[in-house]
Amino acid sequence: MKAFDHVTAASTREAVELLSSAAPDGARLIAGGTDLLTLMKADLIAPPRLIDLKPASELRYLRFDDAGALHIGALTTLADLERHPEVAQRLPVLPQSVRDAATPQLRALATVGGNLLQRPRCWYYRGDALCWLKGGSACFARDGQNKYHAILDHSPCVAVHPSDLAPALLALDAELVIHGPGGARVLPVESFFAAPTDQERVEYRLAADEVLAEITVPRQPEGARGAYLKVMDRQAWAFALVSAAAQVALRDGRIEHVRLVLGGVANVPQRIRAVEDLLTGQELTPKLAEQAAERAVAGAKPLAHNAYKVPLARELARRALLAATGLMV
Amino acid sequence: MPIRIITTHLEFEGQVSEQRVVIEGDEPPVWGPDAALSIVGTPQPRVDGRERVSGVAEYTYDVRLPGMLIAVGLRSPHPHARVTRIDATRAEVAPGVRAVYTRFNAGDFLHPDNERPFFGEELPYAGDLVALVVAESRAQASDACALIAVDYEPLPFVIDPEAALQPDAPHVILTRENNGLSDEYPKTYERGDITRGLAEADVTVEVRFETPAALHNSLETHGATAQWDGRTLTIWTSTQDVYGSRRQVASALGLMHNQVRAIKQYMGGGFGSKFGTHSSGMLAAYAAYKLGRPVQYMLSREEENLCTGHRSPTIQTYHLGAKRDGTITAIDLHAIANVGATGGWFPPVSMVAKEMYQCPNVRTVDEGARTNLGPFAAFRAPGVVEGTAGFEVALDRLAAALNMDPLEFRRKNYAPEHQAMERPYARKLLLEAYDLAAERIGWATRDAEERRYPLGRDGHLRRGVGMASQMWGGDGGPPAQAIAKLLPDGTAVILTGTQDIGTGTRTVLAQIAAEELGLPLEHVRVELGDTEFGVFSPGSGGSMTLSSVGPAVRMAAVEARKELLEVISQLAEAPTDAIELRQGAVFSRETGKEMGTIASFLDQLDGHEITAKGMRGPNAEGMTVRTFGVQFAEVEVDVGTGEVRVLRVVACHDCGRIVNPLTFSSQIEGGIIQGLGFALMEQRIVDDRLGIPVNANLENYKVPTIRDVPEIEIIPLDRPNIHANTLGTLGAGEPPIIPTPGAIANAVAHALGRPVDALPLTPDRVLKLLNQEATV
Repeated sequence: MKAFDHVTAASTREAVELLSSAAPDGARLIAGGTDLLTLMKADLIAPPRLIDLKPASELRYLRFDDAGALHIGALTTLADLERHPEVAQRLPVLPQSVRDAATPQLRALATVGGNLLQRPRCWYYRGDALCWLKGGSACFARDGQNKYHAILDHSPCVAVHPSDLAPALLALDAELVIHGPGGARVLPVESFFAAPTDQERVEYRLAADEVLAEITVPRQPEGARGAYLKVMDRQAWAFALVSAAAQVALRDGRIEHVRLVLGGVANVPQRIRAVEDLLTGQELTPKLAEQAAERAVAGAKPLAHNAYKVPLARELARRALLAATGLMV
Repeated sequence: MPIRIITTHLEFEGQVSEQRVVIEGDEPPVWGPDAALSIVGTPQPRVDGRERVSGVAEYTYDVRLPGMLIAVGLRSPHPHARVTRIDATRAEVAPGVRAVYTRFNAGDFLHPDNERPFFGEELPYAGDLVALVVAESRAQASDACALIAVDYEPLPFVIDPEAALQPDAPHVILTRENNGLSDEYPKTYERGDITRGLAEADVTVEVRFETPAALHNSLETHGATAQWDGRTLTIWTSTQDVYGSRRQVASALGLMHNQVRAIKQYMGGGFGSKFGTHSSGMLAAYAAYKLGRPVQYMLSREEENLCTGHRSPTIQTYHLGAKRDGTITAIDLHAIANVGATGGWFPPVSMVAKEMYQCPNVRTVDEGARTNLGPFAAFRAPGVVEGTAGFEVALDRLAAALNMDPLEFRRKNYAPEHQAMERPYARKLLLEAYDLAAERIGWATRDAEERRYPLGRDGHLRRGVGMASQMWGGDGGPPAQAIAKLLPDGTAVILTGTQDIGTGTRTVLAQIAAEELGLPLEHVRVELGDTEFGVFSPGSGGSMTLSSVGPAVRMAAVEARKELLEVISQLAEAPTDAIELRQGAVFSRETGKEMGTIASFLDQLDGHEITAKGMRGPNAEGMTVRTFGVQFAEVEVDVGTGEVRVLRVVACHDCGRIVNPLTFSSQIEGGIIQGLGFALMEQRIVDDRLGIPVNANLENYKVPTIRDVPEIEIIPLDRPNIHANTLGTLGAGEPPIIPTPGAIANAVAHALGRPVDALPLTPDRVLKLLNQEATV
C-alpha cells in the first residue's frame, strides 16, 4: 500500500466538493473500507487522498416513506439492513441476501453503497498479472483457472460481480440517487451496472466526482414475495458460486409480476427478462418453473472449469421461483 | 546414575530409523490399567489458557525489541527463471532502509541442511526468494522492495507431475538429469506375487484417485525475530523444534551452540512444516548478526502459501483383487507424489496399502515427481492422510463390486500382525473400535430408505454413511530428558526442552509431574520452548511429544519424590515407606493423619532445592506399537447444487491412556475439522500456463468455518498400552485427521450411488460426478 492523506467529509455536499476539487484519480471515498483497503493493499489502486465519508451521518438511514418505498442511505451497513424488522417483514429478500454475505464482522463495517461499488474477486485481477480489466491486453481467466468465472460472455473480461445484495436490489427494481457537482440524478440499479468496456474498465457507471447517496426500493406489487439463494464452496464466508434472487406477485393464482436475477454468472448481476416474459400471466407449476429455469441459462457459454455453473444456475433459478411463490421452502 | 548407550528403533512419519541414545538410570514401572491416579486422566483446563485467551501470550509476531528492524522479502513471480541482474541502488538509499540482501552480496549464505543458497541464481518456483530488504518499518521495507530492478531470464517449466516425469519434460532444476525425486525413485515394495494375486481374484477393480495440494495455513506464519548482542544470538521463532532451530542457526552463521538461544513459548499453529526455523528464521538471524540490531522477518500469508510447504498432491492408481468370499488377494498401488521443486523426501502414501489389511500379494511403487512449485513439507500425517483416503475409497469400490458390506469386508480382511515387518502389534483394538463406532453411527440402517432420502425419492437431498480405518505410530521414544526441581516452598519446576505447539503439552506434563510429586496442579510449573533453560527434547511431531517427553518428566518427578521422601523421613524420623504425599501434604500411611505440608518440611532446611533428572527409556523390541482407530461419517448431499454437508463424525481411536480428556478431545476435533477441509474444500489451484498458484491466500484457499463443523462424537477407549512407554500413552495428534477424508469420500459415494475419484468434493466436482453416466 502506498502512503496517502486522509480527510473527512461531514456531508454529501462536502464529499462532492472534495471529489470535484481533486486531480483525476486524486481521491477516493472510503466508507467501510472492506473492499477499498484490499484494493489498496494489493496496489491495484493508489489514491493519494482518501475522503472518509463516515462522518456524513445523514447518509446512514433506513426509512419507509408514506408511499411504501424504502430509502436506504448509502452508509447503512449490511448489518443494519440485515437486522431491520420492518425490512425483514416487507422485503425479506433483502435481509436474505445479506445474511450469508461475508462475516458478521465484515457486515458490521461494510456499507450498502460500498457493496455496490466493490470490484471483482477474480484471482488474476487481484493478483500480480496485468490483466485486461487492469488496463492490460488479455484476460488470463478466459483460458486459465476459471471455476469462479462467468458463463455469459459480455466483455473481454470474464470476472463476475461479487455482491449478494445487488441481485436482490435488481429483483426489487431499486433505483440509485447519485449526487454530483450538477445536482442529483436518479438511475435504476440495472443501468448502474454494466459490463466493462475498453473505455470504462469497471462494472458500474459513476463519475469520479459523484457520490452514491441513496438506494430507493419502490413499493412492491401487492402480495409480492421474494427469495434469495446462494451456493458457496463452504457454509459461510465465501462469495457466491451462483446466486439467484426472485420477486413474485400473484393475482388469482397467476403470476402478475416477476423478477428473476442471477448472480455469479456474468460481469454484472443478470436480470433474466426471457423468464419474466414466459411466466407473466401463468400459473407457476413445478413443471413451468423447470422450463423457466431452463430458459434462464439458455445462451450460457461455460469456460473450461465452470460448466457446473449451468446446472447450478438452472437449479437455483428454479428453486428461487418456487420459493418466492411459496411452492418450496 | 550410571549411563549406557543403547540402540533403539524409532518410527517417525512412517520411516523406521535406528537410533543410538544414552540411557541413564531406570525408568519407573509402567502405569498399568490398575494404577491409582488422581490428576492424570482427569479433565484439566489448559494451565496457560488464561494467557492465551486474554492476549497476554506472546507469539512470534508480538515480539518487539528496542531498535528492531523489519525484513520484507522480494520473491520471484516466475515459475522458473534465472536472475541475471539486480539493481538495488534505489532501494538501498530509500528512507529507513538498512540493508538489501541479494545473491550478489549474500550469495555465499547457504542453507546448512542442503547447502542451497538462500538467494539463488536459478529460481525454480514462483515465490522463491530474490532479495530481502531490512528497514526501520514494514512500510519502508515494502516500498523499497518495489524499487529493486530485477532482470529475469525465464526458463521452461512444468507444473503437472505426470508431465514432469515424461522423458522430454522441461528440467525443473537445470542441473538435475530428470525430474524424479532422486535415484532411489521410483521405489518398489513387493511381497508375495502380485500377478498371481490378481489372477487368483474373482473380482478386480482399478481405481485412480487424486488428492490436492493442501496448504498448512497456520495462523502464525513462519518467521522469527533475532537479536545478536555480541555474545548470544537469540531467536524467537515459530518452530516445532527449538533444538533444531538452535542447530540450524549456529550452523548457518558459524556460531557455537552455546552462543545461540532459540525460544518458542506460544505457538500459532504447527502442522509439520516448522521443524527448524525455516529460511525466514535463518535470514532474520543473518541480518541481525550482520547489522547488530534486532530483526524480525515474519512471512506474509501469500509467502506462507507459496514457499513454506504443503501436503503434496498425489495420483494413486490401485489394482485390487478379491475372492468371491471377500478375501483380498492382491493390492497393487502406483503412487505419484508431486514434491515440488526442492522437496527432499517421499511422503509415505503407500504405508496403509502395505499394512492396513491382510493380503499376501502386495506391490507398491512410490514415484516422486519434481515440478516448478514450492517444496512440499510434512503436514499432519503426511502421505498417510492422502494414502488412506485413496485406499479406503478403492476398498469401498471393491466391496461394492463384491456386493459386500464395506465394514464386513474390512473385518474379513483384518490384519492381526504387521505383515511387512512380520511381527506382532503390541496391541490392536480395531475390531472393538469398529463395533463401538458402527453402533453409534447406526451403520445397520445406513441403507434404510428414510435415512438415505430424507425428503423422499423425489427430494433433492441424499444421505450417506461411510467409514475409514486409521493406523499410525505415536509411541514416542528416546532421546528426551527432563529435570524436576522442588523449591523450598514445596512448589515444583519441571524443565524440559520440548515445546507446546498448541496441543496442551504444558498442561499434560504438569499433570504427570503433579501426580508423582503429590502436588496440586497449580504448584507445578512447566518450562519449555527455550534452549537456554531446557534439557534436550526432540521436535514436536509424529504424534510423539507426550510419549517421548512425558516419561522423562515422570521419571524426573519420581526421582525427586524419592529424595523428598528421604528428606522428610530423616526430619520426621519415620521410614520412607510410612509416608505418603498428596495434594502438597505429607500423610502417615499408618494413621492417615496429616503430618504437615511438604513446604513445612523443606522449610526446616537452609535453602535446599531437590533436583532430579529423568530420561525416556528405550522402546520395546520385537513388536510394533501402533494407534488404530476408525471414523464413520454421515453426509447430506444436495444433488441439485452439489453441496456436501457433513452431519456427524463418530471417532474411535486407541490412543492408549488419556492423560487429559480435554486436550485429547481438542486433538480429535481439530484433526477431524482439518480432515473435513481436505475432503470438502481445501486445494491449491495452479494456473498451468503461467505456472503460478492463484489462491495463495485465505479468500480462495478455503478452510472450514465453524458452520462447516459437524457433530463430532468421540468414543474414548482410554486404556494404557503397557508396551508403549511408562505412561501407557500413544499420540493423538495425527490419528484423528487420517481417516476423516476417506470416511467422508465414502459417505458421499454412498449418498450419490456413484464413485468418487478425487478430492476435494466441492460443489463443482459433485455436480460433475452427478452429470456422469457411470454408477457404482
